[in-house]
Amino acid sequence: MARKPPITNCVRELREQHGAMTQAELGDAIGVTRQTVIAIEQNRYSPSLESAFRIARLFGVGLEDVFSWGE
Amino acid sequence: MPFRERSAWIMSAALFLGGLFYFRAVLSAWSESGELVSPGISPILAYTGVLVVLAVVGHIVAAALAPKDADAPVDERERQIFNRAGHYSSYVIAAGIVMSLGLYVLSSSGDLLFYTVFASLLVGQIVEYLFQILFYRASV
Repeated sequence: MARKPPITNCVRELREQHGAMTQAELGDAIGVTRQTVIAIEQNRYSPSLESAFRIARLFGVGLEDVFSWGE
Repeated sequence: MPFRERSAWIMSAALFLGGLFYFRAVLSAWSESGELVSPGISPILAYTGVLVVLAVVGHIVAAALAPKDADAPVDERERQIFNRAGHYSSYVIAAGIVMSLGLYVLSSSGDLLFYTVFASLLVGQIVEYLFQILFYRASV
């Protein structure tokens, strides 16, 4: 349960590049809570495919520009 | 702390205190009469009253502290947390029910069966909230 998923991401960097968007704003934009955004950024939670696409589309990048296999 | 984790703390505390209140009354009546008393409606109503008051007051305070968080719909991660917590707690309830049935076979006491099933449901529900808290902290 506490095992970290092998997927890493650069959501925090993308958020900071996009006008220092807050975690709450990102959460509102993709339909998750701020706590879930925090968990995603800390690699403690892998979002669903739908949320992953929402994040990528929001930042105008491809899915693999946001998420990568961390091993 | 997320609102729903706070809610899980409130509910587990309310269930624990309500259960303590109920089973103290049962044990007290048992020690007074010298035998297990049949389950009555008044202790259950009192238990329900304690539970409802603690849960409602606790949630009003928690929602007042974080109104936006309290108003937000459950998201995908929280759904996973609830599903997993419910899954694990179901084993606790099942184990309690099986033990209750075993006790009934040995004792043939319907009153004891009622109390042990009631306790199993109570403990199972508390465990579900504790698992929610654990998964909120560890993520999923």
